[in-house]
Amino acid sequence: MSVSLLCIVILFPMLVGALIPVLPFSNRKQMELYLFAMVVLNSLLVWTLILLHPAESLTVAKFTGNLTITFRLDGMGMVFAGLVATLWPFATLYAFEYMTKESHEKVFFFFYTMTYGVTLGIALAENILTMYFFYELLTLVTVPLVMHTLTREAILASRKYLYYSLGGAAFAFIGMIFIILYGDTISFTYGGVLDLHKIGNRVDILLLIYVFSFMGFGVKAAICPFNSWLPQAGVAPTPVTALLHAVAVVKSGAFAILRLTYFSYGMEFLRGTWAQQVVLAITSFTIVYGCGRAIKETHLKRRLAYSTISNLSYILFGAALMSPAGLVGALSHLVFHAFMKITSFFCAGAIMHQTEKHYVHELDGLGYAMPKTFTIFTLSALALMGVPGLAGFISKWNLAYAGIESGLPLGYIGVGCLLVSALFTAIYMMTIVIRGFFPGEGFDKNQVASFQDPNWKMLLPLCFFTVFILYFGLFSSSFIGFLQSLI
Amino acid sequence: MITLLTMLGIPFFFGLFLCCNRNITNRKTLLSIVSLGFVATAVVTVFSWTSLLEQEITVFWLTQNLPLMFHLDRIGLLFSILALVVFLCAGFFSFSYMEHEKKERRYYGFYFLVLAILQGLCFAGNMVTYYLFFELLTLSSLPLVMQENTKEAIMAGLKYLFYSLCGAYFCLFGFYILFQNESTISFLWGGNLLADSIVAHPVLLQVAATCMIFGFSVKAGMFPMHGWLPTAHPVAPAPASAALSAVIVKAGVLGIIRVIYYQFGAFFLQGTKVQTLFLSLSLITVFMGSLLAYGEPVLKKRLAYSTVSQVSYILFGLFLLQGTAFTGSMLHVLGHGFMKASLFLCAGAIIHLTGKTRVEEFTGLGKEMPILLWCFTISSLGLIGIPPTGGFLSKWYLAIGALDSEIPFFSYVGPVVLLLSALLTAGYLLPITVKGFLPGAEFDTEKITKKEPNLWMLLPVLILTVLSVLMGILPNGLLGFLGSVFR
Repeated sequence: MSVSLLCIVILFPMLVGALIPVLPFSNRKQMELYLFAMVVLNSLLVWTLILLHPAESLTVAKFTGNLTITFRLDGMGMVFAGLVATLWPFATLYAFEYMTKESHEKVFFFFYTMTYGVTLGIALAENILTMYFFYELLTLVTVPLVMHTLTREAILASRKYLYYSLGGAAFAFIGMIFIILYGDTISFTYGGVLDLHKIGNRVDILLLIYVFSFMGFGVKAAICPFNSWLPQAGVAPTPVTALLHAVAVVKSGAFAILRLTYFSYGMEFLRGTWAQQVVLAITSFTIVYGCGRAIKETHLKRRLAYSTISNLSYILFGAALMSPAGLVGALSHLVFHAFMKITSFFCAGAIMHQTEKHYVHELDGLGYAMPKTFTIFTLSALALMGVPGLAGFISKWNLAYAGIESGLPLGYIGVGCLLVSALFTAIYMMTIVIRGFFPGEGFDKNQVASFQDPNWKMLLPLCFFTVFILYFGLFSSSFIGFLQSLI
Repeated sequence: MITLLTMLGIPFFFGLFLCCNRNITNRKTLLSIVSLGFVATAVVTVFSWTSLLEQEITVFWLTQNLPLMFHLDRIGLLFSILALVVFLCAGFFSFSYMEHEKKERRYYGFYFLVLAILQGLCFAGNMVTYYLFFELLTLSSLPLVMQENTKEAIMAGLKYLFYSLCGAYFCLFGFYILFQNESTISFLWGGNLLADSIVAHPVLLQVAATCMIFGFSVKAGMFPMHGWLPTAHPVAPAPASAALSAVIVKAGVLGIIRVIYYQFGAFFLQGTKVQTLFLSLSLITVFMGSLLAYGEPVLKKRLAYSTVSQVSYILFGLFLLQGTAFTGSMLHVLGHGFMKASLFLCAGAIIHLTGKTRVEEFTGLGKEMPILLWCFTISSLGLIGIPPTGGFLSKWYLAIGALDSEIPFFSYVGPVVLLLSALLTAGYLLPITVKGFLPGAEFDTEKITKKEPNLWMLLPVLILTVLSVLMGILPNGLLGFLGSVFR
């Protein structure tokens, strides 16, 4: 029974999404109720699955040889699936309120809910082929979401997103072929599946292919120089940018790289090679590059998108360290960053929804009009900076621990980059906060008098995430212990 | 445990209550709440000094290996006393000073938060706890700097924030390295480095020590990272500048003590390039600060530059890694705290009553407010180092310590620079007294009216001045106490 849940949680949201245009809803409220109930139900199913934790795998389709579509729940899958299942209902709730100002909601929720299933497919994939299949599918179901507003800008952005993602997937595909050729099996096995006898003297080619597929999957994780699709995709409605472009889609890229590094190639094979140096250098550079661009950016959502680019490379930096501690750091940042960034995006969305303001310099004094939103935004900003007591500190601590432990010169430099990026984060986030609360002399309070905090549908998710950020910041021992037990 | 939590919780609660409660509009209500808060804080803090001394309390674990731990040792106690005394004095001074200012509620709210965090800082028992409170201190004192809400204040606040965070991240980098090379992160007199690590990579550890000391020295306003101090301290309201200049810079000093004597150990750093580097930097700062103060016409800025110089006296004493100099430094921590707070409060009283900020406008001030100017004079004499004030004693110990240390070059140049700086101190402080009491023949004494400030303002200044003098007259208890610290 519990094994079949593996398949159910993936297919159920797709079915729910597919039924939206078909079912005869008499009003918006009914659709909201249906959608919310189903999404919550699916999240409960995912959590049941995690608690039951079935060890066996479920094969649903078999191609030639050992190529199968197979699902299994292992530790890493648990982390990602649990994260997605926790965030999705809240994001849906938030989207109900946000989408009141946008048109053709049904199409939006159709694809939005389907994405839930596809993302879970990536989390629960047992082998690289299954993961690749859902990875491609994810691109296809999210393109319409980026295109949603149908403005010229949105269409251009979605086209770019499509080309970038497909191009990246092509490189990842090459990596997959080599795993199939030179591996004992295509299943994900901690420590890697490569057969050294089959490889013989072709080690360098395999390393080159590793770098290719790292960059290929890295397109979704917005690694420099393949990052420009992400800020552009910010034209999508905020629930999409917050959940998909800060968590589900981009973290699928990071998740795939973690799988590739630790479960297909194996860290023993890669550690100490030139391939590791290359990916370490690229991720360290992206960490600083993303932050630097964020400071320059004045559009609020795009600024947060650049911040995401930088933070995703934190995760990839953990992956590139190729050590158990690096994996713990990467996974903890994968989870914590999701909460921090979705919070700041939702705050940005709430500001845009309530005031129609999109640029940083328009936010003067809004802290007085929307105190709750701005306080929560401040908290997420502090967490992203890595102030101790909040979640960001813990994940950065784990990453830096791994970086120093590696003893590599690039490890030390990478840790330095983390801290430079923390300072940059302070610059681009705190300037917003200070604008909000300290508008300067000559500021007229009446300018913001007409604005107010959003209603409970937007505030509830924010409060919930805030509690998470605080809780993980203060009492993370058990969670980090859990991550360490996976290895 | 309960005592500790109450001690930190009470000012924290008052701070949070005042920050969040928008209903307090009546000034009388506000002030009675604030007074209640001060009294309650004073009572519990004094009580916990006696009951918690030399006790180790682990509250909870932030994550594995990172306990939030408190341990009130004698050094912490010294700083804690300084913080409480100065904050109470400046707090009661604010009652009168802040009566025409806006946003008083927020001011007191953050004032309490800063006090709570400072106490936490003094009680911190390991590096991660210290770092936590150190970052919170920066963030919570930021609104005090920006209280005036002018463009100048906001820019100063940003400068303060980014300098401080830059320093904090340097510390963190050093701490990341240190963490993997020490037996425990708890503070332990003599250091707790692993013997293996000292042999294996001494240079790496020296780099770590440099980073950490440099990071904390930003808060202490040491060259080359002193730039924020003369900008940020004077723009705050006078009582807040007093707190900033007398106490909050000492957070950097305490940090450096913890790093040198309780993490790396004086023995490890003795005779290294690290010591030479910081001895030179502190001496440069001593001289440069005095010189800049000498050329500065605005009183509050002049006092801020004076802080730059005087705090580096303390740092110089610490970097000598020698018992007598250490005692001198600790005496100067207290002495400078009292004197600088008193001077800033005097400057505040002058601004409040006459609106004069520049030194050349102070001619004849002694006729208008003799008691205040006498306090100013006595504190100035202390800062210059004229017996029988506390300042003389601390400088005496610093000079003797330098001569005894037998470090080539610095043991002679050090005292000379201290003396030169004392001369300059006389040069920038005494003319105010001289012109104030002896305005010259052409000064029209007819127009003079008595403008002595009221008791709320005068009493705190008097208390601080008397304390600084008492330190010089009756130093034996204090010296015995300090003797038991340096082993």
